[in-house]
Amino acid sequence: MKLFTLVIPLIFLVSFLFAVVRKVRVYDSFTQGVKAALPLVMSVFPYIAAVMMLSRLFEVSGLEARLVRLLTPLFRGLGIPEEIASLVLIKPLSGNGSTAVLADLLARYGPDSYVARCACVAYGSSETVFYIGAVYFSQTRNKKFTGALLISLFSYFASVVLCCALCKIL
Amino acid sequence: MNAVFSVIFILSAAVLLVLDPAEFLPALLDGAGKSATLCLALLASYAAWLGLMQLWEESGVTRGISRLLTPLCRKLFRTEDKEALSAIGMNLSANLLGIGGAATPYGIKAANLLEKGKNAHYSSSMLFVVNATSLQIIPTSVVAMRVAAGSSSAADIILPTVLATAFSTLLGIALTMLFIRPRKTAPKPGPTPFRSPRTSGAEQ
Repeated sequence: MKLFTLVIPLIFLVSFLFAVVRKVRVYDSFTQGVKAALPLVMSVFPYIAAVMMLSRLFEVSGLEARLVRLLTPLFRGLGIPEEIASLVLIKPLSGNGSTAVLADLLARYGPDSYVARCACVAYGSSETVFYIGAVYFSQTRNKKFTGALLISLFSYFASVVLCCALCKIL
Repeated sequence: MNAVFSVIFILSAAVLLVLDPAEFLPALLDGAGKSATLCLALLASYAAWLGLMQLWEESGVTRGISRLLTPLCRKLFRTEDKEALSAIGMNLSANLLGIGGAATPYGIKAANLLEKGKNAHYSSSMLFVVNATSLQIIPTSVVAMRVAAGSSSAADIILPTVLATAFSTLLGIALTMLFIRPRKTAPKPGPTPFRSPRTSGAEQ
């Protein structure tokens, strides 16, 4: 596990060494890059804010819990343990929210239980779909991505079904 | 996005109006507050990665990686825009390594460039799907969380995760090719593709 923590520092180290070898003016170049961070965040903020307000509203209104209850029989039919139903539904909407749910599942069922392993695989093999959509296309004029959104969500649910099956065998 | 946003928002607001109207504004403010915190974290992360990305740009790393990935990206995204292909290549490599901080700025750049291209709708949708179905090879953060929770075999979820990730990405790519077709197919004149009347299903 220690190995993974080496990846990012190594990427930086090698990149800096390489830049020095290639005679890049490292300080000038680095600061030039950092300069773009503020405008980038400013252009992305409205979309993140809208999606996060929406996901909080969805949660507080109780619709999320109702949707979980509604989908539980379907999930059971597909072999998804009902304990991870809320994780599966929250993951596409909220990165922080799903991290909290995963931590809770790990603590409640133990990290090596079947439920927790399913949860880990479902969490690790997916992305916050709505957030990606909001951020990546924040600056484009055309925002008609319902097709792409539906495809992403469908592929996600299909892969969750697959991971619950995989966790049984592997 | 407009339809999805409107439907979820109106439904949630209507339910809250009946059940607990006092919770409406706090919910919005809480969400907005969290997004402000997140943006601050993003600013820090972008500052670090955009600095490094500029170094990659000037030392020729970007050029090397995109030269390597351009043939694949050109086929998959159906675009000839060199700059867009380079941004996509970097976006994909950063995603594979699991460095979201670097993947996002490249993704935004690619989205902006693809919009101007010929197959804008198809290429952008493909970019969306490939990113939204996750590409990360090693689920570093999950493994770390399992270690923290006292797992005896924290790494045993890596194999199923890799398989599930690959499956969802391939399924997403296949569905995008099937339902969101590129306007103009291959440049060489081949047999005219059969156009079924039910193509509009996945569009918009």
